[in-house]
Amino acid sequence: MADELELLRRANPVPSADPRFREGPLPPGAERHLDLLTRRAAPAPNRPARRPHVPRPRRAHLAWAVVTAAVVAVTALALLLAGPATPSAVAAPRPLTPVAGSAPVSLERLAERARTAAGEDASPRLRQGTHVQSWSLSMTSGPDARRPVTLPEERVVRWRPDGSRTELVVATDPRRPGQPVVTDPGGDPRTVDDGHVLSRVTLPPSWSDAPPWARPPHDARGLRAYLDELDRAGGQDTPRLLDAVAELLDHWTLGGRESAALAQVLADAGGLRPAGGVTDRLGRPGQAYTHSAPGIRRMIVLAPDTGAVLGLETTFTKDQPDLAVKAGDVMAYRAWMR
Amino acid sequence: MSNDEIFAAAYREHYWAVSRYVARRLDGGTSEVEEVVAEVFTVAWRRRSDLPTPPLPWLYGVARNCLANAVRGHGRRRRLVDRLGHDETAHGRQIVHSPDTEPPGAWVHEALARLSPADQEVLRLTSWEELGVDEVAVALGCGSRAAAMRLHRARRRLRAEIDRMRTTVAPGAGAPRRDTPKEQGHG
Repeated sequence: MADELELLRRANPVPSADPRFREGPLPPGAERHLDLLTRRAAPAPNRPARRPHVPRPRRAHLAWAVVTAAVVAVTALALLLAGPATPSAVAAPRPLTPVAGSAPVSLERLAERARTAAGEDASPRLRQGTHVQSWSLSMTSGPDARRPVTLPEERVVRWRPDGSRTELVVATDPRRPGQPVVTDPGGDPRTVDDGHVLSRVTLPPSWSDAPPWARPPHDARGLRAYLDELDRAGGQDTPRLLDAVAELLDHWTLGGRESAALAQVLADAGGLRPAGGVTDRLGRPGQAYTHSAPGIRRMIVLAPDTGAVLGLETTFTKDQPDLAVKAGDVMAYRAWMR
Repeated sequence: MSNDEIFAAAYREHYWAVSRYVARRLDGGTSEVEEVVAEVFTVAWRRRSDLPTPPLPWLYGVARNCLANAVRGHGRRRRLVDRLGHDETAHGRQIVHSPDTEPPGAWVHEALARLSPADQEVLRLTSWEELGVDEVAVALGCGSRAAAMRLHRARRRLRAEIDRMRTTVAPGAGAPRRDTPKEQGHG
C-alpha cells in the first residue's frame, strides 16, 4: 500500500489540471481586480522603486545576530557554570528524569502558585513572538530508514509595531558551547559552526483575529477556548492539547497571567501525571507532568513558582523500526525562553 | 521593477495556485473561491513593499487567515468550518468505509477529516500544495523544525486512521478483519 502522503496526493480534490482552476490567463473578474488594485495606487509612474533590503532590515538583522549571539553566550555560560557533561556531536539527548527524592506538585497547586505570582508587580507581560531552543530528530521512514540524528537549533521571532516579523534560526547546542552543530539542509546531515545562521527572514504583516495570531486570553476559560480553536476538531485529548500549547508558545511569549491561566487549563484537563522536579536542558528547575500514549510519552515542564512553560519533551517508549528509532530516543524537546 | 510591478507579476503567476488552495479547503462555488482569493490579493497588495521571495508560501498563509477570518466575520462560522475539512456533507460525497473500496479519495478524505485541523493543514500543504518543509513553515508561521515535527506527527496520525479504516468487516463474516498490522498512532 502506498504511503499516507501518496494516498493523500491521489485524493487531491482540486488537482492542478482541474479545468476550473488550471494555469492560464486570469479570468475577467481577476483581471478587473488586479486593475482596480494597481490603478488605485496612482500616481503609479512616480512610485518609488521597491526598497532593497537595505539598510534598515540589515541593521535589524545585525541587531538580531548580536542579540542571539548574546543569548547563546549567556546560555552557554549558564550551562558551563552548571557543569553539564559534554555529549558526542550527534548524541540524542536523554529523556529528562525527575530529580531523586523530589516531591511531585499537583497541577492545581502549581496553578494556585502561578496565580499568586501573576499578581505581583514584577510579573512578566505577554509578548508576541517567541524564543525557543529545540532538539529534534531528523527522521526518515521506511525499510531504508537511517538512524536519525538530533538537530539542535535556536529560534527567535520578534514582531515589529507594523505587524511584520523577523525570524532568526541559528544552529546551536547549549550543551556543547562552541562545538560543531549538526544540521540537515535538504535532509542531508552535516555539521556547521556553533551559531551558524540557518535562516533569517523578515515576513510582512499578516493579520488575523483567529488563534494563534489573536492575542491569547488571560483567564483559564478563555484560554481553553482559544486552544480548542487551534484544534477545531473540539474535545481535545491531552496530546492534542499539548500540541496546541506548543503552537501557542511558538507565537507568543506568555505573561504571568497567561501562564497562570494555562496552568489551570492543564489542571482542569486532567490526563497529566505529576512526575516531580526536573532540571531542564537549560539548567532551569521545573516541575514535570507526563502523559503516556502507546509508544510515546509527553512531558511538559513548568516553572515551579510562575507556572510558565519551560519545555515540552516527546520521547519514544518503544522501538519504531520503520523510523529507525529506539525506545528512549527523544523525538523532540523544546525549551522556551523569554 | 517597482513594487506594483512585482505585485502584478506575483498576482498573475500565483492566482491559480492560490485559487486551488482555497478551493481545496472551501467547498463553495467558483464565485465564493474568487471572493476569498480576491481578499488574499488585497491583503498582499497592502503588503506589496514587503512581499517575501518566493511569495507563494506566504500567500498560502494569508489565504489560510482569510479563510479563518471569513468564517469569523460573516457569521457563517459553523457552516464554513464544516466545509474546511472537505467533509462528506459539504461535498455531497458518499463516504465509503474501507480503503479496499473505490474510489480511494473518499476514504482518504474521511481519514484526514478525523485529524485536527492543524494536522490536516500540514498534510494538505505537503501533499496538495507540494510544499517543502521550509515553505510549510512560512505558510504556518512556525519554524522549519516545528513544521517537520508537525508533519511527522500528522503523518503518523493519518497512518493510524487509515489503518483503523482498514479494519473492516469482511463480506459474509461477522468478525472484524485486519488487512495489515495496526501501527500505533502517536496519540
